[in-house]
Amino acid sequence: MGKLYDELTEEIEFDHGMHACMDCGTCTALCAAAEFYDYSPREVMDIVQSQDDDKIRELISSNKIWYCGQCLSCKPRCPRGNNPGAVVLALRRLSVKTGLFAESEKGRQQLLAKRLFGDNMMNRGYTLLPTNPVPSHFPELGKDWEYYHNHLAEMREWWGVPVDLENSPGSARIIPEKDMEELRAIYKATGAVDLMNAVEDGMAKKLGGKEEVEKFWKNWQDTVDTRNYKIKGGKSK
Amino acid sequence: MNGSREGKARVWGRHQKAIPSVDDPGGKKWGFVRSCFLQAASPYTEGVGCKVMKNDLGMDLHEAAGHTSCGAIAFHGDTTTLQANMVVAARNFSIAHYDLGIDNFFAYCVTSFGNYTEIIELWEHEPELREYTERVLEETTGRKFWMPKVSGGRPSVVHASDVIFANIKQIAKKAKFSLDGIKATDHLGCHYAKIFPDESVGGGEFPQLLAGMIEAYGGELVDYPERRHCCGMGFRQCAFPENRGYTAACVYKKMKSLQKTDPDCKLIITNCPGCGVFLDAEQGTIAQVMGEKFGVHIVDYAQLAGLMLGYDPFRDCGFNVKVVPIEPLLDKIGIPYDKSKTPEERRRPFGPD
Repeated sequence: MGKLYDELTEEIEFDHGMHACMDCGTCTALCAAAEFYDYSPREVMDIVQSQDDDKIRELISSNKIWYCGQCLSCKPRCPRGNNPGAVVLALRRLSVKTGLFAESEKGRQQLLAKRLFGDNMMNRGYTLLPTNPVPSHFPELGKDWEYYHNHLAEMREWWGVPVDLENSPGSARIIPEKDMEELRAIYKATGAVDLMNAVEDGMAKKLGGKEEVEKFWKNWQDTVDTRNYKIKGGKSK
Repeated sequence: MNGSREGKARVWGRHQKAIPSVDDPGGKKWGFVRSCFLQAASPYTEGVGCKVMKNDLGMDLHEAAGHTSCGAIAFHGDTTTLQANMVVAARNFSIAHYDLGIDNFFAYCVTSFGNYTEIIELWEHEPELREYTERVLEETTGRKFWMPKVSGGRPSVVHASDVIFANIKQIAKKAKFSLDGIKATDHLGCHYAKIFPDESVGGGEFPQLLAGMIEAYGGELVDYPERRHCCGMGFRQCAFPENRGYTAACVYKKMKSLQKTDPDCKLIITNCPGCGVFLDAEQGTIAQVMGEKFGVHIVDYAQLAGLMLGYDPFRDCGFNVKVVPIEPLLDKIGIPYDKSKTPEERRRPFGPD
């Protein structure tokens, strides 16, 4: 049994998701990600069950663990009561904590996830904000969405769901600062802030400093594709 | 066909939740928490849902200004921890009960519903996790722990669509329109019925929740092979454009399957924020990339209740921003709208630009 495997067993999600996998492949047969990507939750479970640290290191340094869409369709179907989607969550936490997430193209997208979902929680108390689905990042939402986005405050008044109300119930309201302080204290005490910091630190280590991380971020905002940032002196997986 | 109906009735009979209706004791007073996804991408859904509950069901709804997101999108997007989610859930529950005086509590988001349900299960089965939550909640916020027991007095929360379902007969009775002669199918959010099938009205295989609404409004329910396939929202998959082929591929698979099974079925009812947005939007991508137009209307259960009760399709139900134009469905149902205006004018109340 290796050290990485030991760390995995510390995760609540792992404890609940990984029992004895019999390699039947039911999860892979119904997995939405397996149909689209070169991905198999059965293979993930098999690697983890091997308890082989070299294989686990290779897995959490690769794109594979980031392909899962977390629909958890696998959970009710597993004849042995496993939850491959939960095991993937535990592997992703380990990948971030060890910095190995930054070795893969899909893993490096964690910077986007952290600065979107994570920073939104810390700053506003929501994972997503009305200003996030910008038409340039969501062209499929169409021209009427673009119109809405250009008239966001008015349109939401018109629909009867005004935004940014203060000290009031309401959609996308401004959460009072005293409540935000409580939320931040919870995130600090429960390891969420550490996990977010590990993403920033891991990216800085991989890209060669915080300035490069900002370039990576700006490149994504400008071109909407992380692959347009070229990693210096190393191969992306 | 009769055999299939009997089978469904048996399954549905085994998987029922005791969601208080407005006729049950305490069933009129509810607290609720918002959905990040709805607030960001389809806010009118919560808007029309609240209008139906308040105006048509006479419910007394309470929402605390200081409640926060449950953080589950950040959890499945891998930027937070289960421990954080447990304490944030406990904080939202505590605010609802001790600050607002609420006993019944629903979530507008399916991801939140799954998250809260998972956390309640953990608290029930692992007392040390409940003790951890109580301790950290007290240390970080000074608040007291409270466990919601919404469904039949056992530890649980419910989803907003559960509340509509519990009152569906009353809504259908007041409805100005019906789905008579209209074929429709359902698409349940994965985190509503798949993580804990016993927490889904009708179970995980053929949930009754939305099917029951379609039938209550007089529609003809259609089943198709990929009915239970995920919409492909996928958290980090839909959020980053370079991954969104995954989302479009899931939508394509579902639409092809529905079209092949019953080309006349052009209506899918949803209860999950992500499904409601992407099952619609990716039909635009598919039309561009594959040249195939499915024209399937994606309507949330709250929007559907609004339409049936006579709320304005645009101003109340928010059909301004759908990729698949809603007018063909309104015409089929017989819902009036201002035909003197162009489709663009109906959608753009503040001028053309």
